[in-house]
Amino acid sequence: MSEARAPAERGGAGGVSLRRLLRRPEAPALVFLVVLVAAFTLANDRFLQVGNLESILASVAVLGVIALAVNQVILCGEIDISTGSMLGLCAVAAGAVATSAGGLLLPLLAGVAMGALAGAVNGFLVTVGRIPSIIVTLGMLYALRGVILLVTGGTWITGIPNETRVLGIGKVFGLGYPVIVLLLLFVVMELVSRHSTWGRNVFAVGGNRRAARFAGLPIDRVRFLAFVLVGVFVGIASVIYMGRAGSVQTNTGAGLELQVVAAVVIGGTSISGGRGSPLAALTGAVLIGVILNGLVLLGVPGIWQDAVLGGLILLAITTDVLRRRLVGDKA
Amino acid sequence: MTQPDETRAGGAATTEAATVFRLEDVTKRFGGVVAVEGVSFELRPGEVHALVGENGAGKSTLMKIVDGLYAPDEGTLWVGGEVVSFSSPRDAEAAGIAMIPQELDLFPELSVAENLFVGRKRPRTRWGGLDRDAMQEEARKRLDALGVSLDATSTVKRLSVANQQIVAIARALVGEARAVIMDEPTSSLTEREVRQLFGIIEDLTAGDVGVVYISHRLDEIFEISDRITVLRDGHHIKTAPASELDPEELVRLMVGRPLNELFTRSESSPGELALEVRGLTRGGEFEDVDLTLRRGEILGLAGLVGAGRTELAQSIFGIRPPDSGEILVDGEGARIRSPRAAMERGIFYVPEERRSQGLILPFSIKNNITLSILDRISRFGFVPRSERQTADRFAKELSIRGAKMSDPAGRLSGGNQQKVVVAKSLAREPNILLLDEPTRGIDVGAKSEIYRLMDDLAKEGKAILLISSELDEVLSMADRILVMREGRISGEFGREEATQENVMTAATGGRNPSNAEDPREEGSVDE
Repeated sequence: MSEARAPAERGGAGGVSLRRLLRRPEAPALVFLVVLVAAFTLANDRFLQVGNLESILASVAVLGVIALAVNQVILCGEIDISTGSMLGLCAVAAGAVATSAGGLLLPLLAGVAMGALAGAVNGFLVTVGRIPSIIVTLGMLYALRGVILLVTGGTWITGIPNETRVLGIGKVFGLGYPVIVLLLLFVVMELVSRHSTWGRNVFAVGGNRRAARFAGLPIDRVRFLAFVLVGVFVGIASVIYMGRAGSVQTNTGAGLELQVVAAVVIGGTSISGGRGSPLAALTGAVLIGVILNGLVLLGVPGIWQDAVLGGLILLAITTDVLRRRLVGDKA
Repeated sequence: MTQPDETRAGGAATTEAATVFRLEDVTKRFGGVVAVEGVSFELRPGEVHALVGENGAGKSTLMKIVDGLYAPDEGTLWVGGEVVSFSSPRDAEAAGIAMIPQELDLFPELSVAENLFVGRKRPRTRWGGLDRDAMQEEARKRLDALGVSLDATSTVKRLSVANQQIVAIARALVGEARAVIMDEPTSSLTEREVRQLFGIIEDLTAGDVGVVYISHRLDEIFEISDRITVLRDGHHIKTAPASELDPEELVRLMVGRPLNELFTRSESSPGELALEVRGLTRGGEFEDVDLTLRRGEILGLAGLVGAGRTELAQSIFGIRPPDSGEILVDGEGARIRSPRAAMERGIFYVPEERRSQGLILPFSIKNNITLSILDRISRFGFVPRSERQTADRFAKELSIRGAKMSDPAGRLSGGNQQKVVVAKSLAREPNILLLDEPTRGIDVGAKSEIYRLMDDLAKEGKAILLISSELDEVLSMADRILVMREGRISGEFGREEATQENVMTAATGGRNPSNAEDPREEGSVDE
């Protein structure tokens, strides 16, 4: 790094470091986020208030936490679209424990264990079963929703005690627990992604699976762990969700799976793997939150939400393709 | 006969009617890199004109100019007495020039007949639909003209490589070609299939079609070609009738210096047995292979492309588990079912396809070098800062120049990429190195550095298996040479007894009675 960093430091004026910054995968999304925040602030002075920003982050905490894990799966060159139903099932497990035993730790453990189990099934079918992950997780999306309906018989779980709900509604120094959990997991994932062996291997497997195999990397273990990580993070997210909602419906998480993939891709992680970062997943999730919140503040009717979100995804992909052509970055 | 040849090769006295096409003082640059500079080349009707040179000498660039894929920056292209400028291969085809690229651009899921008509006017029925019967009829006629019996309705992916080649040639000839350019046509053909191809080439030239033959197989070049043009570093070195050149002279012209300056090989004294393979078999790939490899020894593995050498090495490395047979490392039986298991036994394989198999292209040089040792150097699952020094050390050993450790591997030159791949393997400190075409497609400077490194490694006591299709490389570097043919070991030669001829004979099966009816074969092989 000494060689590489030296010119950036001596070069002054930040010219070199700015270019390096713009080369990063999440750069377009970050620039876009700044522009949007500025635009919404000009349009409505309530937007930039601390309270509003905190509520935006809290509203995307569930999405963001799951996106941080799915990000790793996508970096491996795989995909997971089962997280919507998985969130529902984890919430059912956590809710059942919460209403019977109470407390925070036990429901959290139940949700995480359920998620890890579902993630392990995904990972097992993808690695040992050699079935494409889009098929496996599509099947699981329906199967897990089916399990929810069978287990609950279609009824809601209500009466979640307040000590369990604290992860969704509790606050420390004006900062909600959902925001704290999201930022904490983001920092953990940045560390893991940059500095751990597994984090490095994820990029290698997604960047060139063949070369990774020839280099002796445990490809199946790397991918299996990524799927299990999704389960664990969905389990954590399920308790946040339950805390915020106060109950568990049978359609909990429906449609979330694609929003998660959208957040990861909008943020700048390549859908074909090998390129991206946890910051990309976080940026994508926050971007979605900012847009939804901004539309409400601007008084745009709710029926516009999906159209705007869809346009945003296409815009994000287009700018990435354009950027690659301009930089000539084939790698 | 030779005298007029010389004057005509000079170009000035040529009557244009006597050439199919002629390039005059052509220069082509890519960015700042000069690919070819001031090169002249002509093709006459009915001749086979071989175009030779090392990788990167400019052969393919030159022919892509003729084929309309590139426009020359300077110089002119004459076809049939007129200056032309092609803007696409379609223009070239209209002028009667067809190119058969090295990587066949066929459509594997379509039938032979459909492939012949891709991009061309297809026969239509009265209702505007495709007239399949007419297409198949026309295709059959084309194939018959080549003297081959191929079912026009069969799907291309089901054909052998040789038959796919024939389809590509037939497709090139659909447009009444007067010149056919073949880029390394025999690189994946068996000897028998090469014979068939040569038969087709002779028929073509008998019909006054000119053939440009790009190849690095010297024996084939001398057998088939009338004239030879040598390119080196983008410059025209020499054009002469094949009868006036011999293989050694040709190599000297291609490389630009005597071969012994390129290679480094000290006296070796092989030690204990490091690797032994007994009766290794994998269905359809290789059969009943025995080999031994000692510490400090470089064992050459020669043979044609497709002889099963890569498959054998990958089997030893655990990528393609064998069906039967034994692998012994340091005298002990080893069950190797994955690359990781092979590495734990001290084996490392450097693959031939560095971009698709050797490198993570978006990764930096540093991350590529340490890829295989992360599990060794990491503490509690995290990569320590000392990773940088480790990577630096091996980058220095390979003298990777003109690049920073943080540069992505995808942006490096071929030579530097290969050095990164080798550095990665050395970082794992293997005792047994399996090198698969380690110098393919890299410049002469990088080549000689890799040779010097191989020599050093052998001196340190490492056992090296060198798979190479370049005979000079095997003959100069190896202490002992094994030859494979069609999945079996077909010959073994000590350093002294190995010659270009006997290795090639073992590789192509020249002694095999099935080929003995061919007089050319017999004449060159026996006594």
